[in-house]
Amino acid sequence: MKKRIILVAVLAIIALGLVITILSKNAGSKTISGAGATFPQPFYNAAFITYGHLAHVKVTYGGIGSGGGIRSLKDKVVDFGASDAFLSDKEMNEMPAPVVHIPTCCGAVVIAFNLPGIKQIKLTPDVLAAIFSGKIKNWNSTELKKINSGIHFPNKAIVVIHRSDGSGTTNMFTDYLSKVDAAWRAKIGSGKTVNWPVGIGAKGNPGVAGAIHQTVGSIGYVGSEYAFAQHQPSALVQNKSGNFIEASVASVSAAAQCAIPADTRVMLNNSSAKDAYPIAGFTWLLLYKNQAYNNRSFAQAQATLKLVDWMLDHDAQKIASKVNYAPLAPNVAAKAKAILRTITYNGKRVLK
Amino acid sequence: MSAYIYNMQINSDKVLKRVLFASSIVILLIGGGMLVSLIKGSMPSISEFGWKFLVSSKWDPTQGSESYGALAFIVGTLMTSVLALIIAIPLAFFTSLFIAEYFKGTKIAAVVGTLVDLLAGIPSIIYGLWGFYILCPLVVKLGLSPQGFGVFTSSLILAIMIVPYATSLSNTTIAMVPNELKEAAYSLGATRLEVIKTVVLPNARSGIAASYVLALGRALGETLAVTMLIGNANIIPTSIFGTGNTMASVIANQFGEASGLQLSALIEIGLLLFALTTIVNAIGKYIIKKIG
Amino acid sequence: MNRTIDIEKEDSSLSHIKYQKAKDGLFKIAVILFSFITISMVFLIIGTLLVKGYRQINWAFFTQVAPDTFTAMMAKVSGQVIPGGIANGILGSLYLVGIASVLSIPIGILIGVYLSENSQKKYASLIRDIADILQGVPSIVIGLIAYIWIVVPITKSYSVLAGGVALAIMMLPLIVRSTEESLKMVPDTLKEAAIALGTPYYKVIWRVLIPSAFSGLVSGILLSVSRVLGETAPLMLATLGNPNINWNITKPGSAVPLLIWQFYNDPNMVDLIWSSTIFLMGFVLLLNLISKWIEAKRKK
Repeated sequence: MKKRIILVAVLAIIALGLVITILSKNAGSKTISGAGATFPQPFYNAAFITYGHLAHVKVTYGGIGSGGGIRSLKDKVVDFGASDAFLSDKEMNEMPAPVVHIPTCCGAVVIAFNLPGIKQIKLTPDVLAAIFSGKIKNWNSTELKKINSGIHFPNKAIVVIHRSDGSGTTNMFTDYLSKVDAAWRAKIGSGKTVNWPVGIGAKGNPGVAGAIHQTVGSIGYVGSEYAFAQHQPSALVQNKSGNFIEASVASVSAAAQCAIPADTRVMLNNSSAKDAYPIAGFTWLLLYKNQAYNNRSFAQAQATLKLVDWMLDHDAQKIASKVNYAPLAPNVAAKAKAILRTITYNGKRVLK
Repeated sequence: MSAYIYNMQINSDKVLKRVLFASSIVILLIGGGMLVSLIKGSMPSISEFGWKFLVSSKWDPTQGSESYGALAFIVGTLMTSVLALIIAIPLAFFTSLFIAEYFKGTKIAAVVGTLVDLLAGIPSIIYGLWGFYILCPLVVKLGLSPQGFGVFTSSLILAIMIVPYATSLSNTTIAMVPNELKEAAYSLGATRLEVIKTVVLPNARSGIAASYVLALGRALGETLAVTMLIGNANIIPTSIFGTGNTMASVIANQFGEASGLQLSALIEIGLLLFALTTIVNAIGKYIIKKIG
Repeated sequence: MNRTIDIEKEDSSLSHIKYQKAKDGLFKIAVILFSFITISMVFLIIGTLLVKGYRQINWAFFTQVAPDTFTAMMAKVSGQVIPGGIANGILGSLYLVGIASVLSIPIGILIGVYLSENSQKKYASLIRDIADILQGVPSIVIGLIAYIWIVVPITKSYSVLAGGVALAIMMLPLIVRSTEESLKMVPDTLKEAAIALGTPYYKVIWRVLIPSAFSGLVSGILLSVSRVLGETAPLMLATLGNPNINWNITKPGSAVPLLIWQFYNDPNMVDLIWSSTIFLMGFVLLLNLISKWIEAKRKK
């Protein structure tokens, strides 16, 4: 008797589930899905929720990593991908069809440290590279004292903390170090994962930030959106013009005040702009240039592009700065919008 | 008439036997399918590195000079899983006896059993965080390691995570040992311990062993908790308190961002873990057979 | 002469008994001690969770969807409880685990029955070994498999179905082995008696064997469900996540562990991870209590 009741209950639940599934499939509410970089996820989630209410679409974004995003786009299981690193020419060739890059905001790599009583330190590019490659091993070394007159460093070993997982933040940081330090470029190079000569690996921004917080004498690199929200003490880094710049939303946006190529595929590191924070970069959305693939409807393509277009507008960019992401400079936003309007569906332009 | 029913019964028996056999094929399909998919994904890495992959501990993703080797991770995986099992078995064994033998059927056994089962529902990221906030400082205070990360800390967390697996099936089988057998031994004047040694354990041996194998499997494949506590150094650990990395952890860490040869190397590590689990399970089952 | 021998024998058997009693007492102490250590670990962990998370638990927590980072930031700055909740995750998790259960429980039990009924055969050993090996596959690899088998070719999108399949694969080994080992413990006499009475095979299994092994089956299922409720990695590769409540099986879905991962990586929403975990714990506890209630009812 009891078993029969349970059996009937289970079947009823399954039947209910099927009914709901079939009903919701025909509900008509559009779903747009994207996957990729974890760096912009808080911004994207906030923006997509707002857009969802505006346009009555459901937008899903999964921060599974830039590599995952590119893979998902390649396999055509998402409407757009997201990446902190632009595709190289070789990677562009590996995609089944041409892909465009749309930058959405800027982020930076902040150098956080844990020295009791010391709130700010200055770092030059060579000293920064030397610390992270293990050449400078102690806080009271002569190089550090030279550029930080007035700060009394303790006699403590420097504990370097880097990312254990592959990440666009690592890519941005190592790309910068490769640009400013020949020895780094030769021995370690740049990439989402590199062979760190010294230090401990921690997972994700929270891992690195947490490890720095718990280890006295540590230094590490954290994504700006995380660092700004946590108000961690960070280093002033000397930029190409010789100024020591503190990382902030303004100084990061300033990094884009320079020549940007038409397809926006550029790393903003070591920018020549005067007030620019030197370790900064774009994050992009990736879309197929021809949206007519895989039985994709024109309506779906249009909905996706409208979403991306909205991301470049003032309201979305305001959300970005509210949650500690650096908005796009006007020249970049204009270029991005122009690229969007080159996307076609079977030869016809999708957006006016 | 009865011959008709008899034939019908034989037919329904046959059908059932065929259905049961068919269901077992599902396991074959899943296991085989997984193997095929993993091999396919590993091919670029296998053809590039061959046997070197197994004995090299170099993991260099630098563009232009990529070189991958799984040795450091194989050692890390073995160290953490075996150590975790060694820590977990005494805990699980005695707790199982508590629940299923000494206090069998009582409310306190039910409470203890439920509490242990709760451990299985905690997401691994929370275990990792708990280990980070509570265990790491403890290990640092005891002077065992400078930052608290390392093989030992990870093994400790793994041990806690696999206890419910080691107890669950053990509880079931120990509790199901027929009372008559135990009564018979008691009537001969045996103490509780003697009854356990001579009646309960031999009877429940298969289930207990199975639960430890399952617990070991869980330890071998655990990703997030280990990755947050082991220090992620792609080297062979120099001691139990040193840092290192495991196969599951490195896959989880780098998978999201990997492509090309690195992705293939990671998939090959997944394949190797498959092989490692097979070997370790076989060794475990052999040891169990010898002890019994 | 005889008396001395008798006394020696009595003495030695007495001391033998004393020795056994001592060992017995020590063993009992060990049992209680180790169990106590295990339980303290449980209290330590759950205690930490409760202390860190109780503030975020309110009615809205269960009925509203996850907040965005800005709302959370504002709440954090003003020292308030973060608004919103994990409703999309809760319903998503239930949906996923429901699908996984429907896929894995019936088949797992069937396979377990097969293995216990044919345990001598070599083929059965092979199946058993493969099941044990599957238990060791890292969850992220299973996610990858679900991505290759379901996301790309079948649903052509991240989907609840792919997540359900991934979780089902993770549940299978435990259910199979629990069923098998529990059935093995049922005395052969029961089965033989039923067969002797001319009971057809399916009735022997359904009405005799499985009811006797029922508690073992339930434990195995309970443990499997508890585990997959908290799994993150496979869902990241198969289901992606969803800020809304979604019932469409071919589209991305949410789950509580995915939300936990999202909260963890967001500097403003970190506090929500503890309350989300408390929810998972509460749910596992509920399942536990339900299964114990079913057990009690059956015994009557």
